[in-house]
Amino acid sequence: MLNNKNIYKPIRAKLTDVIDESSLIKTFVLVPEEEFSFKTGQFIELSVDGIGEAPFTPSSSPLVTEKLEVTVMKTGYVTEYMHALKPGVNMGIRGPFGRGYPVEKFYDKEVLILGGGCGFAPIRSLLYNLKAISDKLRKVTLCYGSKTPEDCIYKPYISELRQTPKFEVFRSVDNADGNWNERVGVVTILLDDVKVDIKNSIAVVCGPPVMMKFGTKKLLEMGYPEHDIYLSMEKNMSCGLGKCGHCMMGEFFVCKDGPVFTYNEIKDQPDIWN
Amino acid sequence: MQYKSINKEEWDKTLEQLLLSYTIFASVSNAFGQDYELIGPADIAKISYNKPKPATSLKSFFLPVKENVTSERVDEKPRIILGIPNCDIEGLCLLDEIYLDKEFNDIFYRKRREDTLLISSDCIGIQEHCHCLSYNIKPYSAKNADLAVINLDGTIVLRIITGKGEDFIKNIPAAKSLEDKTIISAIEKEQLATEKLLATSNKGLPDYKLTGKLVTEAKEEIWEKYSARCVSCGACTTICPTCTCFLLIDKPGFEKIKQMDACQYPGFERVAGGKDALHELSNRFRNRYMCKYLWKPKKFKSLACTGCGRCIEACIGKINKNELFMELAE
Repeated sequence: MLNNKNIYKPIRAKLTDVIDESSLIKTFVLVPEEEFSFKTGQFIELSVDGIGEAPFTPSSSPLVTEKLEVTVMKTGYVTEYMHALKPGVNMGIRGPFGRGYPVEKFYDKEVLILGGGCGFAPIRSLLYNLKAISDKLRKVTLCYGSKTPEDCIYKPYISELRQTPKFEVFRSVDNADGNWNERVGVVTILLDDVKVDIKNSIAVVCGPPVMMKFGTKKLLEMGYPEHDIYLSMEKNMSCGLGKCGHCMMGEFFVCKDGPVFTYNEIKDQPDIWN
Repeated sequence: MQYKSINKEEWDKTLEQLLLSYTIFASVSNAFGQDYELIGPADIAKISYNKPKPATSLKSFFLPVKENVTSERVDEKPRIILGIPNCDIEGLCLLDEIYLDKEFNDIFYRKRREDTLLISSDCIGIQEHCHCLSYNIKPYSAKNADLAVINLDGTIVLRIITGKGEDFIKNIPAAKSLEDKTIISAIEKEQLATEKLLATSNKGLPDYKLTGKLVTEAKEEIWEKYSARCVSCGACTTICPTCTCFLLIDKPGFEKIKQMDACQYPGFERVAGGKDALHELSNRFRNRYMCKYLWKPKKFKSLACTGCGRCIEACIGKINKNELFMELAE
């Protein structure tokens, strides 16, 4: 039986706070007017009234339902308008859409997470989720890279994570300044520092396409099987419903079949890193 | 199969009566060959029967070029669409799979589907680029339309295909059950004659089982050669009965306008920051073939090309997809 919900109509959400994460990245704290929940790794279409909407994976915990946080890098038309918004306005939300991270498959495993730039946003949501089930996990290792120390986001959260049992954090920047005492270089160099039991581990990669490409390559070289590498894919997800066709990646609608895929699911599709 | 017959004069009177409670669109001959037109009482006599395909594909009745999808659904008079070729009926099956998906159904599409009676028309004769049979689609409907019509020398014969068609016929007392075997065999003879024309015309054209393999194995040069005359106008996708891609445009008040879009337009896959997997015209051109003959068949039960040939007719660069497939099959 088909339901009568209008799939195109957004619900309203009040913007209650805007947090500066870096010069280009802000986190928007939203309180939806209607009941709203998501699974970690799923995405939403967030709209600025009359301007446009764009897909984002919430960066907050999926276990918190009274509000949600969306971390946005200023990189195009809609995000430029978002960055100019002040608390108090209403935004539109559609979703949640797609297939998120299958956290139940991570039980009894080490989770190695490779993130870059604003790709930390979905990862933070995943980390919140993993912390809540950490008794079921062996270890969680975060390798995070950004361009400069100034571009490192969620600094207070990183400190908190470093104090959390079973969690460890490695960071790198492409270009360091005098105050940086962690690694310098592309994020994949951090994989040389981590100790993982690959047989009992899965890897998660989220970041800019070029980082995903070389991150995946390195993980394969390390010996990760293709089906144990989880990628959060980015395409032009517009409707979120598997209809508009903009996010087709070969036979997959990234919005509906993804955005989280294992590498073996999509490796033969065209243009996966574009 | 249940048949009903009614003489043409009675049928025209019936249509006039039906205009009181239905909006009727039907295929009418015009300067461009023939196309669907809104029928008023004076137009009933102009309706053409059994000529192959109207210029416009059926999808335009269900997917308007532009519509506000955040407004309330409007209750309109139910519709009858008369004279639909089977290639369009089969094309609608893919649209149903996409828009009547169990998880996310489009209530606007659904309302139009529910409120429309589909009367298919058997094709007698073919047009230059018709090639439905190559894709295993017959030039007459046996499923998916509600009714099918054929005009045999002034006798209108209707085949009942669905329950919706059957309920509709119950309210037309002038339509009598047809038991005359000679008329039924005359219909079958016409159907077979058209199939034979198609078989001759489409000789050597790869079938739908082969097209996916052919596009997968096609070399880059073939896409460059055929796309050299493409100007990204999107006529092929606009006219196609199964191309359904769209764009959502925001308007104040969180309203959304759904507008038909096409992978042939530049920027279709462009994301914020500028990356665009389909930036090159030859990639966009190839994308449409990969979508129709490889990706959609993996994802959906219904065909994503029904062999109507409209894309060939509509192309201002005279790109002929059948020539492309013949070359691939060499």
